Amino acid sequence: MRVMTAIEIRNLSKAFGPVKAVDDVSFSVEAGTITGYLGPNGAGKTTTLRCLLGLVSADGGTALVDGRPYTALEHPLAEVGAVLEATSFHPGRTARDHLRVICTAAGLPASRADEALEQVGLADAARKRVGGFSLGMRQRLALGTATLGHPRVLILDEPANGLDPAGIEWLRGFLRHLAHDRGVAVLVSSHVLAEVQQTVDNVVIIARGRLVHQGSLDELTGNGERPVRVHSAEADRLVPALEAEGARVERPGDGVLRVYGVDAETVGRAVLDERVLVTELVRERSDLQAIFMELTREA
Amino acid sequence: MTALVRSELQKLFTTRLWWVMLLVMLLFTGITLAVTIGFAGVQAQGGPALPGRGTLEFQQAAWTAGAGSSIFVMILGIVMMTGEYRYQTITTTFLSTPRRGRVVTAKLVAGLLVGVLFGVAALLLTAAAVIPTVLIAGGEVALLDGGVPRIMLGVVATSALYALFGIGLGALVRNQIAAVVGAIVWVFVVESLLTAIPALQDVGKFTPSGAAQSLIAVEVDSGFGAPDLLPAWAGASVLVAYALVFALVASLTTVRRDIT
Repeated sequence: MRVMTAIEIRNLSKAFGPVKAVDDVSFSVEAGTITGYLGPNGAGKTTTLRCLLGLVSADGGTALVDGRPYTALEHPLAEVGAVLEATSFHPGRTARDHLRVICTAAGLPASRADEALEQVGLADAARKRVGGFSLGMRQRLALGTATLGHPRVLILDEPANGLDPAGIEWLRGFLRHLAHDRGVAVLVSSHVLAEVQQTVDNVVIIARGRLVHQGSLDELTGNGERPVRVHSAEADRLVPALEAEGARVERPGDGVLRVYGVDAETVGRAVLDERVLVTELVRERSDLQAIFMELTREA
Repeated sequence: MTALVRSELQKLFTTRLWWVMLLVMLLFTGITLAVTIGFAGVQAQGGPALPGRGTLEFQQAAWTAGAGSSIFVMILGIVMMTGEYRYQTITTTFLSTPRRGRVVTAKLVAGLLVGVLFGVAALLLTAAAVIPTVLIAGGEVALLDGGVPRIMLGVVATSALYALFGIGLGALVRNQIAAVVGAIVWVFVVESLLTAIPALQDVGKFTPSGAAQSLIAVEVDSGFGAPDLLPAWAGASVLVAYALVFALVASLTTVRRDIT
């Protein structure tokens, strides 16, 4: 039996006036995995997620959850949980009442409200009005809302916004637990790659409404070649020797060379042979953020 | 559907506005009652005397006191809808119930129930003021005759329908301040002029409040001449027609809109 794809987006398009917010985007998310949905602000991440959740009607293409459009789900909260923005609470309502209102509408027992508050660490603030909550507490409450119905699919839009480092660490653990222990399919959007790179299994990158990369995190880092960086006042003298070894040399200026296609030892041998004084010789670390910037810069 | 209506009522009763509005409505009704009782039997300058406190006419006039407070139910209806947009809770609402028509229907039903509750509360306050007043004046209390049941029904129906008007207006305008200010200007300025100035009453009798007045019309000559009103059945039809239009507006504007 084929495992049903938890989230399947096919050729999704949506324009707001002349602006193509989402342009022919396709990707899928499998159960038990965490997928990072990355892109700069305004890339179309939120619009994609809102189309998927039936809040925005797509101009073309399909967005399915467990093989069906969201609006066709009989008990949506039992299948999909969503965290969209941390501000969507009535400030005068208590956290517990907020969850109970949703329990009533979704046909869930009111006791789920207290369980969910316990799970996201808000049990002590249950009877406080949300108006007095910090951004981090609101994010926790939003997560509690999303997990009310024990969904098998979790969709989060910029959930780390407003969380302090401890909160982000907690969120990572929470998402990993849901995905890897409970088999939940998690789709989490962010405009900061570093925020999710320790958590996600797969990445989907979008820029200006178009998909620019989809694959595992390892594939993404494999895309970028790691050059050897050399700093020397006599850098010019090194170039011919390096090129003779078959290296490709980039010269950003200021006595810096970026050497591609050879390892650090070859570069070191060239330095020794040419008797050049170098002040730095290092294999550059794979810079995910740089790859991310490169991918999203020209879409 | 019952669950959705309960959820809508829960939304209303877990925030503070409903009882603030209830108090304001009762205060407003109380002031109207105080004026009606205070001026009963007083001889207006150059006009006929208003009916005394023991008379049936006085009781009829007093029982209409709650009808003037419908604006507060309307504001509550507006907030039931616009509050969801203002605080973006509409997102959560549509996530738990993606079939939006059902959300709108649940809101309309909840609004009707709240409207009835407010109407009944106004009647209870009226009873508490009118019955002792009549008894002290030595009159005979009329509750089930003399047109009083029709007036009571009119007060409750007006209150319930104004809640629907509010929900419809809120769905159309969505901006809470604009909708509330619009409703207040409409009720206190536009409708007041249309129903009070005899030359405009041909139009005024078809406005919601003109139609509502026909439900609670009493033959009391206040010295300004009897207002030109629709028959009660026609007034009721006009009100229900307004309610249907507002319900339709609420559904059509809400079902298609992108929630961004």
